[in-house]
Amino acid sequence: MSGAYIRGMGLSCALGTDVETCITAMQQMQIRPVHVQLDGFDEPMRIPYYRIPDGGDLFDDSRFTRLLVPVVRAAIVQAGLSAVELRRLPLFTGSSCFSIGSSEVQYAKALAEGSGAALPMPLCGYQDIGEIIRRTLGCAGDTYAYNTACTASANALLGALRMLEMGWYRHALVVGVELANLTTLTGFSGLQLVADTIQPFDANRKGMVFGEGIGAVVLSTHPGDVGGLRVVGGTNNCDTHSVTTANPQGDSVAAVLSSTLEQIKLQAGQIRGIKAHATATPTGDTAEAAGMHQVFDSLPPVSALKPFIGHTMGACSINELVLFGGALQKGFLPASTAVETPDPILGVSPLTAPVAAPDGYYLLNHFGFGGNNTVLAVEKFTP
Amino acid sequence: MIQVISASHYLQTVPDDTGLPTLDSTLKQLCREPFRRIDRFIQLALLGSARCAASQSLRADCGIYLGSGLGPIGNNAVIQKRLIHDHEIPKPFNFINTLGSAAGYYVAKNLDLQGQNLFISRRGASLQAVLSMAMADLTLGVVSQALVGVVEEVTLPLAEHRRRQGLAAGMLMAEGSDWLLLQTAGEGGRQLHLQRFAAFVELQTVLKSAWCDGDTVCCARSMEQPMADTLQQDYGSSTLPASQRGFHDSLETVSLAEFVVEGRQKNLFLADGDTERGWSLFHLGA
Repeated sequence: MSGAYIRGMGLSCALGTDVETCITAMQQMQIRPVHVQLDGFDEPMRIPYYRIPDGGDLFDDSRFTRLLVPVVRAAIVQAGLSAVELRRLPLFTGSSCFSIGSSEVQYAKALAEGSGAALPMPLCGYQDIGEIIRRTLGCAGDTYAYNTACTASANALLGALRMLEMGWYRHALVVGVELANLTTLTGFSGLQLVADTIQPFDANRKGMVFGEGIGAVVLSTHPGDVGGLRVVGGTNNCDTHSVTTANPQGDSVAAVLSSTLEQIKLQAGQIRGIKAHATATPTGDTAEAAGMHQVFDSLPPVSALKPFIGHTMGACSINELVLFGGALQKGFLPASTAVETPDPILGVSPLTAPVAAPDGYYLLNHFGFGGNNTVLAVEKFTP
Repeated sequence: MIQVISASHYLQTVPDDTGLPTLDSTLKQLCREPFRRIDRFIQLALLGSARCAASQSLRADCGIYLGSGLGPIGNNAVIQKRLIHDHEIPKPFNFINTLGSAAGYYVAKNLDLQGQNLFISRRGASLQAVLSMAMADLTLGVVSQALVGVVEEVTLPLAEHRRRQGLAAGMLMAEGSDWLLLQTAGEGGRQLHLQRFAAFVELQTVLKSAWCDGDTVCCARSMEQPMADTLQQDYGSSTLPASQRGFHDSLETVSLAEFVVEGRQKNLFLADGDTERGWSLFHLGA
């Protein structure tokens, strides 16, 4: 087990626009989704949403840069990289939307101007996040853009970890981005997966609520001055049961949990806690619960973070890693009051009051469309 | 040691807007079941991966590493036009197919694979990005076999497709699906190495020492221009003039896959990088 140290973190989500504010708000059990009104369709759509509290227009094109840069800068500053290290810093991005919101705005603007040359998807490819970071912060290393639905930033983190283990880089920047866009909001509404509240593993769960968030982590081969958190491994697999739903028997979830434990050479009983994916969809929670029960005779404490920030899609892994890791650093496992009646069929009761987080190993679950499953393993240690 | 044990190569020019060549009959032969509600990008991924895996014994831990510069751009453009121009919400399967991982899902289902499944992009150098990841995983023992593919689709009208990428009007466009099956510890196949360098001069030194006139080819399309010019001057460059074969975002993949498929018994070097990123050199042995 080698792994890489988390040297710096940044976060902007519904809880706040910096890590400290977000962790404090989470401790205070603050849950504050808003509603987004989408007009112009056959029927007006009113969608619950966890937005970043920046006060700006949700679909303003300039938000992309305005919100991304401070998050990445915070992670870089905390990591204490030299100017040379910053210039050569490789960037691993994970997102399900990338710049699609900006593309929508630019296309709509061209149409409104009456331009006959209005072009759908004027911004193509997956490089915009990297280009903004290069232009504003000077990070000009290799770029790897991951697009694997809701596991994207978890897979980006694993990619960074493995390339650090190969000795190709000494530091890596991993960024997850999910910002409001019409494609995601209307696309998921069309799939009828959206509920008014997120109640993971609850008997009354009805679906997910989306959110936006940007998270950044600097991984390094050496701990630096921050210390306390190390990514020790993780694995990914593909469940071909269905492109949209996991096998309710939980076999692929169990497989990815087991392969992660095997990789880091630990027994299930040595795990101190789990950050569940916990989307609160009827089928998603069923598969996750069944998979965890296949691997754990007795479940360790389970945290569910989406009641705080919504489901931030391809960015959820990094956003929730920062929240969960920040809580571990402060010595507690996060809890929420969103769960009122744990579903007895599932047998999973997420924490409703924080408990102490001892040094040791923790797992973070992530599952996405396309059958993509990724589990990360993190060690909390006393520097 | 990493070996290339199989490859497939598909490159199709699209000279005008009369339509894309149908892939239905080819896919009917290649796929275990008919997949409905899939888009062109997924069709191309299925075609290339199935051809590459044909007659091969895939291991249980075989990972799928799909790269693309533009991804499923056709489906994305259709959805955006319907959403913004026509005010229609996306149809469920159109929406699901916008995700890069959708193609990997269908490839896995068709080949009965349940292992690692990734989609990685780097404009103009998605091959280098996805191949680096696969080679790292093979070296670290995360997987013992890796199916690595790069897919680029063409969308119609061609004028919009070119504009979207900032290409000159009239440039000949192509779609492609090129795949390699890599593995560790097996019989046969051609060796594939990846070396990384902090300085360009180190790359030059290795290339010079390995160079055999007439038996070696060097490609250096996606690198810092002065260095690319240096390599071009010393070793010649592309094996695949874009003007004749059509352009897409990931032409280096074509060089690599075509080399294996055609059994060209030469060393192939793919050089990539710049001063900030450092330099990488993929070497396919003769």
